Amino acid sequence: MRIRTGQAMKNNALTMEISSHEGGAEIAVLRIAGALDFSGIAMLSNFFDKITAENRSYVVVDLAGIEAICSAALGEFMGYRKRFVERGGSLVFAGLSGNIRSKLTLLGANKIFSFYQDVRGAINAYKWDYKKQSKSLTVAFPASLKLVPPVRQLAARLARQKGYSVKDAFRIETIVDEVCNNAVEHGLHGQENLVEMRVAIDKEKVDISVSNRSDPGKVAALKELIKPVTQGGGTHVGHNDKRGRGLALIRMLSNDMDVNITEHGTSVHVIKLREE
Amino acid sequence: METQIQLACEEIAGKSDARIVRFKGDLDATNVDFVTEQITNYFGDGLVKIIADFKQLRYVNSTGLGVLLHFNKSAKEKGGCFKIVNLNENVYEIIEIIGAASLLDIYDELSEAIAALD
Repeated sequence: MRIRTGQAMKNNALTMEISSHEGGAEIAVLRIAGALDFSGIAMLSNFFDKITAENRSYVVVDLAGIEAICSAALGEFMGYRKRFVERGGSLVFAGLSGNIRSKLTLLGANKIFSFYQDVRGAINAYKWDYKKQSKSLTVAFPASLKLVPPVRQLAARLARQKGYSVKDAFRIETIVDEVCNNAVEHGLHGQENLVEMRVAIDKEKVDISVSNRSDPGKVAALKELIKPVTQGGGTHVGHNDKRGRGLALIRMLSNDMDVNITEHGTSVHVIKLREE
Repeated sequence: METQIQLACEEIAGKSDARIVRFKGDLDATNVDFVTEQITNYFGDGLVKIIADFKQLRYVNSTGLGVLLHFNKSAKEKGGCFKIVNLNENVYEIIEIIGAASLLDIYDELSEAIAALD
């Protein structure tokens, strides 16, 4: 539902309107066009009062149509931002042109406000930062070692896209690689036997699940094989160790690991907290 | 869909039984056989002192780490060595976390590894 404050208000070629249907009950998008100078501050306050009355705590100020902005208006935004932050939200800017971005940066606003390319980016950031929304990805691939590298690299790229550091993404890539390699090596092979990997990533952690079909006759041997690592020891290896490095590495790199082996198959669940 | 890895071999002045082998790419389960074959061939040709330059090696997994330990052991058995230089921070972390840093001959600089050949 689109809410206008009666109608869009005009003041010296300045227009403002609120949209409350973009993103959820807590979000308001305030679109401002024209020149926002001292004379427009009363209008700005009026809009912020309405947003506050609607109990919205995250405000995206869309400046795509703005031509000029004065420092007094910026001060007004700072004051309202503080109030929204106190209510668990924020006030952010979106759609800034090069000139407006330069001016705001010159005034130091970039140190206080988050700038987003557009409203959608600002709303996505809200969902990510405040609502802990996760992004997930599921890939099923035939049990072949050759298919593991693109899968692990995909997981690492997703982590980077979501703002994880190069180091964290590398660790995630390693975990996915090792879990998938084990699934291929110890599970049933071939085109018809799929390995399924699911990665769910949010701001604080990555949740990785990998499952595969196993040979029922090898379940006991497999359980024995993982025992040294899953029961708390065996994280370091010697020159002659042929087995267990992958699982040991997963255990060392992750914050929680669970391996479930049944006659139907094996599933590994790993949680990796964001470190950087 | 094997992961790309390239090995480039260089002579070292005054060291006829030694070579610098520069790794480029990712070392993982898809290419350990290729790498093993190459290094084993060097050993077979009497080049038992290998300095592996990892400056352009982006990634190593546990399978790759396994062959590095194997090269280290094989070289020593033949009276040579397998030294590693220019590890990136991420790859070093993997080697260290698995407890292999103390098993491998790792140097920061190529010049240090060459000097240690004597």
